[in-house]
Amino acid sequence: MSLQAFLAELDSLAADAEKVFAEVDTTASLEDARVIFAGAKNGRIKNVQKLMGELAAADRPLGGKRFNEVRTTVQSALDAAAARLGADDKPKSQGPLFDPTLPGMPPSFGHLHPITQTMEHLKEIMGRLGFTVTEGPEVEDIWHNFVALNIPDDHPARDPLDNFYLATAAKSAQTDAFLLRSQTSTVQIRSMEKTQPPLRIISLGRVYRPDEADATHFPMFHQMEGLWVDRNVTMAQLKSVLRLFATNYLGGDVHIRFRPSFFPFTEPSVEVDFLWGDNWIEFGGAGMVDPNVLNAVGYDPEVYTGFAFGLGVERLCMRRFGITDIRDLFRNDVRFLRQF
Amino acid sequence: MLVSWEWLSQYVDLDMSPDELASRLSLSGLNHESTTMVGGDPIIDLEVTSNRGDCLGHIGVAREVAVLYGKKLKLPEIVLTEASTKASERIRLANEYIEGCPRYTARVIRGVKVGPSPDWLVRRLAAIGIKSVNNVVDITNFVMFECGQPLHAFDLAKIRDGQVVVRRANPKESFVAIDHKTYTLEASAIVIADSQRAIALGGVMGGENSEVSGASVDLLIESADFKPLLVRHTARSLRLQSPASYRFERRVDPAGIEWANRRCCQLIMEVAGGEVLAGMVDAGAESHPRTGVSLRNSQIKRVIGIEIPWDTSLGILQQLGCEIGSRSDVEAKLIPPTWRHDLTREADLIEEVARIYGYDKIPEDVAVPMTPSAKRDKDLLLDRVRGLANSIGLDEVLTPSVVTKALNDLASPWTALPSLQTSTPLLEGATYLRRSLIPSLLQVRLFNQSHALADVNMFETAVVYLPNNQPGGLPIEHFMMGILGSMEPRALRGLIEAILDRLTTIQAETREYESVEVSPGTGLAFVLDGKMFAWFGQLHRKIKDAWKVDADLMIGEINLDVVLQHFRSVPQLAVISPYPPIVRDLNLVVDEPLRWSRFAEVIREAAGPLLTKLSYLETYRDPKKDGPGKKRVLVSLALQSPTQTMTGEQADAIIADVVKASEKHLSAKLLA
Repeated sequence: MSLQAFLAELDSLAADAEKVFAEVDTTASLEDARVIFAGAKNGRIKNVQKLMGELAAADRPLGGKRFNEVRTTVQSALDAAAARLGADDKPKSQGPLFDPTLPGMPPSFGHLHPITQTMEHLKEIMGRLGFTVTEGPEVEDIWHNFVALNIPDDHPARDPLDNFYLATAAKSAQTDAFLLRSQTSTVQIRSMEKTQPPLRIISLGRVYRPDEADATHFPMFHQMEGLWVDRNVTMAQLKSVLRLFATNYLGGDVHIRFRPSFFPFTEPSVEVDFLWGDNWIEFGGAGMVDPNVLNAVGYDPEVYTGFAFGLGVERLCMRRFGITDIRDLFRNDVRFLRQF
Repeated sequence: MLVSWEWLSQYVDLDMSPDELASRLSLSGLNHESTTMVGGDPIIDLEVTSNRGDCLGHIGVAREVAVLYGKKLKLPEIVLTEASTKASERIRLANEYIEGCPRYTARVIRGVKVGPSPDWLVRRLAAIGIKSVNNVVDITNFVMFECGQPLHAFDLAKIRDGQVVVRRANPKESFVAIDHKTYTLEASAIVIADSQRAIALGGVMGGENSEVSGASVDLLIESADFKPLLVRHTARSLRLQSPASYRFERRVDPAGIEWANRRCCQLIMEVAGGEVLAGMVDAGAESHPRTGVSLRNSQIKRVIGIEIPWDTSLGILQQLGCEIGSRSDVEAKLIPPTWRHDLTREADLIEEVARIYGYDKIPEDVAVPMTPSAKRDKDLLLDRVRGLANSIGLDEVLTPSVVTKALNDLASPWTALPSLQTSTPLLEGATYLRRSLIPSLLQVRLFNQSHALADVNMFETAVVYLPNNQPGGLPIEHFMMGILGSMEPRALRGLIEAILDRLTTIQAETREYESVEVSPGTGLAFVLDGKMFAWFGQLHRKIKDAWKVDADLMIGEINLDVVLQHFRSVPQLAVISPYPPIVRDLNLVVDEPLRWSRFAEVIREAAGPLLTKLSYLETYRDPKKDGPGKKRVLVSLALQSPTQTMTGEQADAIIADVVKASEKHLSAKLLA
């Protein structure tokens, strides 16, 4: 091969490389160009280098010198393109740099009310124990709020002063009045009326009782009520389910204590305490569904037994979040809401 | 119920510590509230549930203690020496109100010397916080706190004609009680009268006119049974609750009435002298015959979950005062004691066995069978809806369901019927069951505004209550999401649309929404099957001004019951077209009053089915260039064919049609 031809080949290689590397605009096309020109196996530089062997010995020093120059040229064009595309690690922009130590830009997300968070938490835990969420109306009739729950006509719990009866002229409080439900147990009745056992449900929602509002009372609050009716449901299962609940909710090893109590819709009736660490924490009321209640919904108490429990959501919520005044939950001061 | 340790030890041996006893009682039914020391005597405060009236006396509590510790109950022995004169010669009794007073008994003591009580009596009463009055009144109180039966002593000299009548109150009858206050009685009140006037309010309070005083010599001692509900009603409506009314409300032992009367007379004679006349004047039914209750051994385990030896179970019931009528190895018939009104069924007996045997013996680690339970669609939906609302900066609030008239009148998007009302207010002045969440949210906004907290944007998910047209039907409750805030108006619509598009299959129509709560022309209703299920608009300027709201507010509601019906909890993939869309922007000058809905309608119709997306970009106004009453609206059209790659020429043709139609129908002018 003549020196002339060899040098011409080198010149064309250099010109092509400079043109191509100047034009590449992505790291992918840069890589393609690198392979074409500087590829280790079949790149054009490699190929020209092979041609050097065909030069006359006298031409080789000049050919080699020129070859080295062109190789440097190609490499600089490649480096320049790489630098331009940011394929190296060095900062290129001359503008002001982003200051990563500046505070983050706060996203304007809203907050869920702590009662909602508590109720979702309760549903989650009870769901794992096989309890399905059910619900019923907040305005109830006498049957579902009292009669079916074994609260007879002359029971003090029906007193107009202890309930929010609706002011409908033609109705008498004893028989066919409506009222804002005083307990979520009403939902038990509605569920049992619609469904045959087995039944494992919880209901959560608003209940209403005329209490003067103070730090621990509010005339509207939330309850969670649980019910399990099946063949062979016992108080031992009640205790065990509540222990599973408490262990999930509070964490750690929790023990359960029953204290006798009285509710018209359960017999036996108990108050439930959790032993958590060294403290007994009041949980709520529970008991075995009263046979009168089972009869009221058409379940045979000789075939089925069941347990029920109920608790105030506010108390759990307040304990969980360190809230000390129940009225704060319903004032909706955003300085309060945005902490949860 | 305050229990004096010293007093209690009269009836049962107490060899345990007060703390131990209190905790044992707590775990067997008498919840321990606190213990205080009064003059060296531990006073234990026990909470007595409403079914356990029998424990409202020291003897009742002693009976529980005796059962729990296997001890003997020591009842006081009554020795009453009667004079030869009969009580019935001195007084006549007529019970005209058996429904209110099933039994009335009276004894007569004459020749007493009313004076200060002896120290032991003062000490007993002081221990449980009762002030000494005189020896006669103190004894009636002592016996009440001993056995739970309230008693009343009358000055016999003041009972006219020796006549005692139990009757209903006369219309508007007034009565002066021993607290010197005058009360107007309701017709159901139980009145104890003499031949002329009321001398006591049965079960509630004695009368000033027959009160025992230092001058009293002859006494009538009343021991009776008054109907719980009537006593409760009178005591509550007159605000005259007393230890006596408290006990009648929880029912007294019908067989203990005579005993208490005898006990009272015996003690009065001991401390005040005098002699008791022979016999008792008695009007009303003797205590009812007690019926037996069957208990099956197998049922105890079925309910409690553990085996309790049959002899143990029956032993507990016997100690509690039940008599065993008959028994076999599997079943027994038990006759509950007269003081236990709460024991009428097998379940009641099972509870007695279990609580005395000990709930601590029930295991807390038995197997709980598994069962499938899934999260409800409603909860899934609510999670998503609340999440979307939070993500645009709305805080969730929780407000009372019952509001004041002023708030209630502000908005009623869902019904023209007046609100339901509660007969007593939930909070001050709040008797209206809300028909919309908006008034409550406005109240929250104003509360925060008053604390200099601006930009409070919020939502609530709760029920609204709509009156039911069907007679006798429960109110209609709809689960709503209410939104209120000083946000960009399109942001609220954007949230509603995001909920519908992302979570449901609803293709809603919209129409103008005119209502009292929104400024005219700013409201929009979302309609499905001809019925509105969501709306939004700008809070009416009049409301804003009247309530001094510090900013223009956007308000809106979504009926989540409707959203739930169309909830798409699991989205299904729609095929992604392989043919790329062509996007063209148009800048059109139109007349100011033109609304987007009309504009979009014209564009869509002109563009035809290949217009896959029409986006509003912005509006701006330049009166200098475009003249007054004009605005520029920049829109973007995405054109895409489902079957082929669209060419530039096809797109140009569609755009040309759109421009032509806009010029024709909207007098629009295209800007280059």
